Amino acid sequence: MVGIGYRKDFAEEFLTSNILNPSFIEVAPENWIGVGGFWKKHFTQAIEKYPLFTHGLSLSIGSPDDLDYQFLGQLKKFLNETNAEVYSEHLSFSKCDNAHLYDLLPIPFTEDAVKHVASRINEVQNILERRISIEIVSYYSPLSVELTELEFVNAILGEASCDLLLDVNNVYVNSFNHQYNPKDFINGLPLERVNYIHMAGHEKIADDLIIDTHGQAIIDPVYDLFGYTMKLLGRDVPVLLERDFNIPEMQELQAEMDHLAYIKSKTLIRRKDAVI
Amino acid sequence: MQLSNHSYMQQSILAAYCRTGEYQPLTEVNEKHVHQYRRLIYNIIDDSISSAYPLTSNLLSSDEWNKLIKDFFSGHSCISPQVWNMPEELIAFVENRNYYLIEKYPLLLELLRFEWLEVEVYMMEDELIPACNQHGDFQKDELLLNPEIRVSGFEYPVHLRNASEIGESDKGQYYTSLHREPDTGKVIFTDLGMPHVQLIDSLYNGRTNYQQMLEIFYRYASENEAKMALDHFIKASLKSKLLLGFLINN
Repeated sequence: MVGIGYRKDFAEEFLTSNILNPSFIEVAPENWIGVGGFWKKHFTQAIEKYPLFTHGLSLSIGSPDDLDYQFLGQLKKFLNETNAEVYSEHLSFSKCDNAHLYDLLPIPFTEDAVKHVASRINEVQNILERRISIEIVSYYSPLSVELTELEFVNAILGEASCDLLLDVNNVYVNSFNHQYNPKDFINGLPLERVNYIHMAGHEKIADDLIIDTHGQAIIDPVYDLFGYTMKLLGRDVPVLLERDFNIPEMQELQAEMDHLAYIKSKTLIRRKDAVI
Repeated sequence: MQLSNHSYMQQSILAAYCRTGEYQPLTEVNEKHVHQYRRLIYNIIDDSISSAYPLTSNLLSSDEWNKLIKDFFSGHSCISPQVWNMPEELIAFVENRNYYLIEKYPLLLELLRFEWLEVEVYMMEDELIPACNQHGDFQKDELLLNPEIRVSGFEYPVHLRNASEIGESDKGQYYTSLHREPDTGKVIFTDLGMPHVQLIDSLYNGRTNYQQMLEIFYRYASENEAKMALDHFIKASLKSKLLLGFLINN
């Protein structure tokens, strides 16, 4: 399965043409909760046609603030009403001291943060009555470093009963920005917990910094890392193409999705052959 | 909370920096790159608010606009988890702080409220719309008001003219309705007089027959003028979908 992030930018064309053929679509619940009218009409038609995956923005699982229980109630209702197959969120914080920041900030890589975040993931799962997936985010600076990034992620997965959304582009971006080997990082993850993969483009803005923009096409080294990941996984996992800015013609998006599907099937067929 | 005070403080200091732009040294961050967070977040806030208030951002100078965004984001704790909904909080910020630009632009608050009203009506959740007939006799059949509507009053004609051309001499009593056209989702503005406001209010609060509508208009005009004005308004409203049609009586 290869899906696409459903964007208002191409919502109308998406429904009226057959150029884009995803296996599923993904939205951020925050962009659709409480929305009616024109966009609701298009969204309803889209989810009648395609399975829905969701990827949250504002849960702020790593926040020092209390969870927003009112928002969680709205979220639960949305996920149930739309029959969302997956709900994922970011391993980051986007709210602090009761103020939303609307972007993903790094959680301190500390033991106490592990316990704090893991207990919140478990609480959210209890409230939503579903297992959620947590995504390793891109970050441009660590905040506090008692643990390595990999130790931090694995410690959370050790304490929280959630799944892992593996954003291969984020691993690539982080490995460049913080100078480590992305394959070693992926080797070190509990891959049996991966239930969803994100792929996207990024922008290199300095010799030592890449920003995770979702505004460009996926580059070859990230495709290579995706192929490597699929080989290690050895099983079919839904993959999403994220494109949030500089949206190109739908043909280009479909070509990227086709390429992802090709890498996936090629890797899985080879593995099957090897087993036989 | 299982988070240590140290971890909390790191997060709090980073968040405060992103909001204010005032950097307080953090011992373990990458000093060269941490400012990217402030830049990225500020762009999100600016983009969201600029999209919601294009008329206001045109009215203010770029320095005034930038200062407004900076003051808002540093001085106000955004409570909405939905970024598209966050710009509404700018109105309360400007009003509660009696923001200095109100003195220079007395219509500022009304312009913000007017612009947000359009966003609100465009995005509002769908209302349950009863079945209705498209054809009928408005002198006999009861009319169905579009429930996806907001009516608002202004001292300045912000719904009629370019804000930069409106002065103190334009001050008066103005009313407008904004409703959502059911098929396209477009927001349609209607300039209203007091009888129209009362008529919409009456329809909103319950069934109102033609005679009752006429009585509202009689308060403001002679019998003939009132009837002509009412008939004209009903016909135009049926066309624009401010009135959706004729109620089906079971």
